[in-house]
Amino acid sequence: MRESRIMFLQYMTGLLILVFGSMHFLAISALAPTSDKILYLYNSSSGAHTLIGGTLNYYSVKAVYTSLAWGSVFELLLTFLVFHVFNGFRVILSEQFPGGTSEKIITYSMLIVALIIFIYGSNTIVVMLNGGGI
Amino acid sequence: MQEIALKGFGEVLKTVTFRVRRYDPEKRELAKYMEYKVPVQMGMTVLDGILYIKEHLDHSVSARYSCRMGICGSCGMIINGKEQLACQTQILELNKDLIKVDPMGNYPIVKDLVPDLSKLFRNHGSVKPYIIREEEEPKSEFIQTPEQREEYAMFTDCILCGMCLSACPTNATDELYLGPQSLAQGYRYITDNRDMGFNERLNVLDSKHGVWRCHFSGACSEVCPKGVDPALGVQLLRQLLTSNSFVKYKQKEATKGPERKSVSGVS
Repeated sequence: MRESRIMFLQYMTGLLILVFGSMHFLAISALAPTSDKILYLYNSSSGAHTLIGGTLNYYSVKAVYTSLAWGSVFELLLTFLVFHVFNGFRVILSEQFPGGTSEKIITYSMLIVALIIFIYGSNTIVVMLNGGGI
Repeated sequence: MQEIALKGFGEVLKTVTFRVRRYDPEKRELAKYMEYKVPVQMGMTVLDGILYIKEHLDHSVSARYSCRMGICGSCGMIINGKEQLACQTQILELNKDLIKVDPMGNYPIVKDLVPDLSKLFRNHGSVKPYIIREEEEPKSEFIQTPEQREEYAMFTDCILCGMCLSACPTNATDELYLGPQSLAQGYRYITDNRDMGFNERLNVLDSKHGVWRCHFSGACSEVCPKGVDPALGVQLLRQLLTSNSFVKYKQKEATKGPERKSVSGVS
């Protein structure tokens, strides 16, 4: 694959990580129903406890992770992250150790590590989808 | 009026210390700095100062120069921490009592202030910096409008001084990186409507050590003595290559003028 295509994917996955990462964050904070939150924000000056911006309780977290829709979002986020991170590493290391042999070693090492991380992460998501792990 | 303009010419206005980096790879000694006191007159450039040192203080100091008017690009060096042409840097304008002179970075050193620019010329050659056409000898002229020339005009000002490569942080780590000079020249020829060599240059420009390795620090544009903006060329080239991934880039073919006629034996 041409470097321009790889780098286009690098930039696009960077943007998608921002979008999907925000969704991941919002799923367990601002988007979550206020009544599900168990940690409260404490205002030291007024002494008031508010439900806004708290953290979800265990069952609500489980509800998020066992949903197929959210599971798909996490799987996509994992895919984008793995590509972006390990292609980024490949680029950085190739600049530090340029040359045919070293670049081949770097590319294949990154590919193997990326696959391991992807399989491990996907397994975690699937386990959670089936209600286990949490 | 002329008297005012010439006031101070010929007089020694101050004495400046030149701290010059000395290194001779043949002697197998570590690089060291040597200091020289140079009397400065109005209009003296750093190159004049170095030539004064060679002539009066230490003839073994080596520097490369030629035109002495900022055209040939031979005397690029690091003056007080910044890449500059020695012939275009006025000593008095630096407004310092100590002038530190180093050879350009990211190049092997031939001796003292003389870098080996082979890498620069090799990279420059790799992007085929000439008009590529299929026909061996054009029979007519290619028409180019002023607007079409304007698209790449800035990049034609490059004098191959190599200071952009010296300042480039990517070039400092990645020795295979093409560098801003070659990439900007690649863009210059691709956007020339007389050129048809986009595909021939693609493998070099769109390679692992090509246009995508630029970190856009902008140091190349900052130090260019001719006001070329290689960083802009690199970004425009990226834009072009990215869109080429989706829609094949088609070079604008120049229209041809009337066929030339043989005039008294000259075709």
